[in-house]
Amino acid sequence: MKRETDYGYEIKPAYTPADIEGMDYAKDVGDPGVYPFVRGYHPNGYRSRVWTRRMTAGLGSSKRTNEVLKQYREMGQTQGMLVICDRPNAMPIDADHPVGRREAGVLGWHGASLLEFEELMDGIPLTGQSITLLGSSAMSAIRLAYIVILAEKRGVELKEVHGSVTEYPFCSTFGQTDHLPLDLLIKLWLDSSEYIVRNKIHMRSGILSQHFQESGGNNAQALAVEIAQLKELLGLLVNERGLDFDDVAFLPYELSSIGMRFFEEIAKVRALRRMFAKMARETFKAKSEKACQLLISVHTSGRTMTYQQPLNNIARCAIETLAGAIAGCTAIDNACLDNAHAEPSPFAARMSLNTQHIVSDETGVTDVTDPLAGSYFVEYLTNKVEAEAYKILQQIEDQGGMIAAVKKGYIHTMMEESARKKQKEIESGERLIVGANELVIPPEEDDDIPIQSVEASDSEEIAKRMEEWKKTRDVPLLEEKIAQLYKDAKKGDKYNLMPSIIEAVKAYGTAGEIMGVIRMAHGFHYDPLEMISCPFDV
Amino acid sequence: MSTKQRIKVLISVIGLDGHFTGAEIVSRFLMDAGMEVVYLGIYQTPEMIVNAAIQESVDVIGISSHASNYEQINLLIDLLKKNNMSTIPVICGGSIPKQYAEALVKKGVSKIFPPQSTSDSIVNYIVSTVKRENVTGKLNG
Repeated sequence: MKRETDYGYEIKPAYTPADIEGMDYAKDVGDPGVYPFVRGYHPNGYRSRVWTRRMTAGLGSSKRTNEVLKQYREMGQTQGMLVICDRPNAMPIDADHPVGRREAGVLGWHGASLLEFEELMDGIPLTGQSITLLGSSAMSAIRLAYIVILAEKRGVELKEVHGSVTEYPFCSTFGQTDHLPLDLLIKLWLDSSEYIVRNKIHMRSGILSQHFQESGGNNAQALAVEIAQLKELLGLLVNERGLDFDDVAFLPYELSSIGMRFFEEIAKVRALRRMFAKMARETFKAKSEKACQLLISVHTSGRTMTYQQPLNNIARCAIETLAGAIAGCTAIDNACLDNAHAEPSPFAARMSLNTQHIVSDETGVTDVTDPLAGSYFVEYLTNKVEAEAYKILQQIEDQGGMIAAVKKGYIHTMMEESARKKQKEIESGERLIVGANELVIPPEEDDDIPIQSVEASDSEEIAKRMEEWKKTRDVPLLEEKIAQLYKDAKKGDKYNLMPSIIEAVKAYGTAGEIMGVIRMAHGFHYDPLEMISCPFDV
Repeated sequence: MSTKQRIKVLISVIGLDGHFTGAEIVSRFLMDAGMEVVYLGIYQTPEMIVNAAIQESVDVIGISSHASNYEQINLLIDLLKKNNMSTIPVICGGSIPKQYAEALVKKGVSKIFPPQSTSDSIVNYIVSTVKRENVTGKLNG
């Protein structure tokens, strides 16, 4: 068995004061709530607020997902909801697209119109819990429009709504279904972000290392990629959109993938807090302490959940949840026992939410903040992963920054090589995974678990409903708003499209239609798959 | 290798799935094993995959799937039948639950490799399958 960190450094049998020699507690670590925030942002830690214990929902129709969300509330998920969008919506194309109709509702909720968002949120409060919608970067502006419009319709103060519905433009580099050219994704992300910051809306934007890491990146690379993304994207908001960094700093949140390397995962999150704080103060000249604090959520790694003997994943999920809790985070959502098979079944969702409550309510982990601080090993690992991450960050900077590194394929190659290395380590038995390369049982003896599924008929039903519903809209109003959007989309990169997108969404324009005309205004085909043509005369 | 010619494998992700890591890793170790790989990447419809299989006259089609609606793979099998290409073995990898894996095999998929399958198991299967196909007469392409 290999005894080294997941980024390739040998681990010694014991650690002593010599391993953290020269470390200055006040300067390099600091108390909880004190810069550089290695130990977290709150002096009282989870005594002030326990992390949001939540579970991914989203499969099939809006009505079906709405029922799941209500079920989750009964299972104790009341601090925040998390919904993931389906494949066609992530691209985005509509359910009635010839390819979209084959996969509507697959792997998520088909949130292609305001109607679907209204159905999703039926009987569910917009405030008093965080609202998080995950999907793709391209859909960010449209999802933000859903929030703005539904708040208005319900007479809820927009500032009272919090959560996150927008996502960073690099998703598609890391295995997410997202089919806009990178430059257009960046422009649209800047539009939605600027709108959020200028209107002081309490919605965060996901700038995540999770997708990168779940695609095979290691812990040091994940930190480097995360800081590189933040530096470039927040830099664009400051330099191109003229925003103050102290306002911009409230926008991002990170979703950190927590795998099975228990101590390394904790060290990674501690190091990230320090790296962001330093960047905020030194690079962006942050004026307030708050602007040096990156909001960090945790996702227990889907990559570590095995297909074989899926009940073993309950143990993995518990260990990773504990690591996330010790590391310090604002929210956790779990990849859980059936992750290698399907979207979470009610059985798996309950197990997963219960796991989080077992960790928060039974172990005492919420009593003491950053309990592993001062451990020679954990402080050493925190320093080590940070030092390695800075080396990789330098390589990304040498490529010209994150955007340039993505365009040159540098990030993709880094990710692919790391994924291959991990695969080889498992095949050679250097890294052991119970049920996969150790203590293997014949497939016919494997655990049977409930499987949540979407059938072809479910997708077809979503498609047919959309076809029929589209005909019932106020077509002249929609045409007017779509024509305006098209005109505005031609006004150049710095013209913020958010207001025109909100108008089009309000008139029940769909994701495929809205993104289609924006694509056309930028010289691309209306349909990313080039199969259908624009139904509007723009 | 048992055949004189290099075995030619088409690898593709099917449908709107963006998860390419599995397909890329498999492509790489098939090449390391001396096979020729035609890698189509993501966003491939069954129609696009069959067209590429015809043009490239491949020996095996490998599909990576992380979906929860396997209709796309069913459509691919139907389309191969329609084009008299059923002799090309279709192998699938990804997070495909047991009951769906069984249904896909019944439909005509020749083998499903679940997550954590080793590269050896996949390479060996392809080598032995293509050999068998050769014995029974290789397709016209």
